[in-house]
Amino acid sequence: MTHPSLAEMIARLHKLPAMPAVAMELLSSLSDDNTEVDALARRIAQDQAIAARVLRVANSPFYGLQTQVGSIRDAIVVLGFSSVRSLVLTATVVSGLPAGRCPGFSQEHFWRHGLAVGVAARNLARALGHKGDNLFIAGLLHDIGRLAMVVVAPDDYARVIATAHEQDCPWQQAEMSAFGYDHADVGAALAQRWNFPEDIRQALAFHHAPSGGTPGGPAGLIHYADAIAKALDLDGAEDTQLPHLDPATIDALDLDQHTLARVLAETQEGFDHCSLLLG
Amino acid sequence: MTPHSLVPITDIKPGAELAEALRDAGGALLRPAGYVLAEADLENLQRRGIEAIAIVTPRDPAEDSRLREAARARVLHIFRHSAEAPEAQALLHAVLAFRQEHFR
Repeated sequence: MTHPSLAEMIARLHKLPAMPAVAMELLSSLSDDNTEVDALARRIAQDQAIAARVLRVANSPFYGLQTQVGSIRDAIVVLGFSSVRSLVLTATVVSGLPAGRCPGFSQEHFWRHGLAVGVAARNLARALGHKGDNLFIAGLLHDIGRLAMVVVAPDDYARVIATAHEQDCPWQQAEMSAFGYDHADVGAALAQRWNFPEDIRQALAFHHAPSGGTPGGPAGLIHYADAIAKALDLDGAEDTQLPHLDPATIDALDLDQHTLARVLAETQEGFDHCSLLLG
Repeated sequence: MTPHSLVPITDIKPGAELAEALRDAGGALLRPAGYVLAEADLENLQRRGIEAIAIVTPRDPAEDSRLREAARARVLHIFRHSAEAPEAQALLHAVLAFRQEHFR
């Protein structure tokens, strides 16, 4: 069975639906301090379906606001631009990047997992004293290479899923056996094509092999956040299994049991509220 | 989450605990969540035309134990290839404790 090579896969990435323009602007605002927040807020508000989903979450009890927010602009004033950016980006990519048809692949499980890893990564980052917003987005998008493989080669990917199921092995391992590369390689290529910020590119490229990224960088956090999301069963998939953990990365994170317990509780609660974004 | 159910007010006995805050049609707070209803409260609320109230259902220890065991079995299924790995131990123990406590 011949599968597309990595070069062929990358060449065919143009088959992917374009990343929605608002999502691209939000992503580039991550590395641009001069973003015009007002103009971006107006652009977000033009998509009423997205704005409505974001306001539903902003007004959920999770944020404990004293008054209801009625517009994207108000939400930015009350919650801050970076929180609203994360919410809008989630709502936009979830509805704007459909997976097409691939037997065995569930778009719902895919995005539930992405959101769960985003929430876990943000909580882990905060527990370790880092800023969490880029980590949320890195978590949300960490498996985007898999979505690309599903769109570009749906029949090949359906066989990957069937093999992983038969052998009870992680999908990433079955991708490697079938294609000779995995969704992290494709994700890294996509990150380059879409000009993602460097820390998000690293998270996509190295979340299964964090020693390849900057020591103490985003890949290690996403690596553990991925495991936390699976352990909490947030994707809703029956055959979930813990991904392989890199001992050096887990050691370097140096989380005590109390902090880990708090991250689990915050991740469960944050996910329950943010899952309103999934429609 | 505390188990609760919506019970007709005529079936509620004094001593029942409110599962959520009780409000009138205008949204004004009548009794807070966790409030223990007395005989006089039940008469008062009935006079106000309230027909049913969400009250806390006492937990069944056998059901709790079944839920805890189901949570444990599910976690061990997710960790089926890594339950022995030293690097997975901290997460395994933390998630077992969390999911068995919250029945998730």
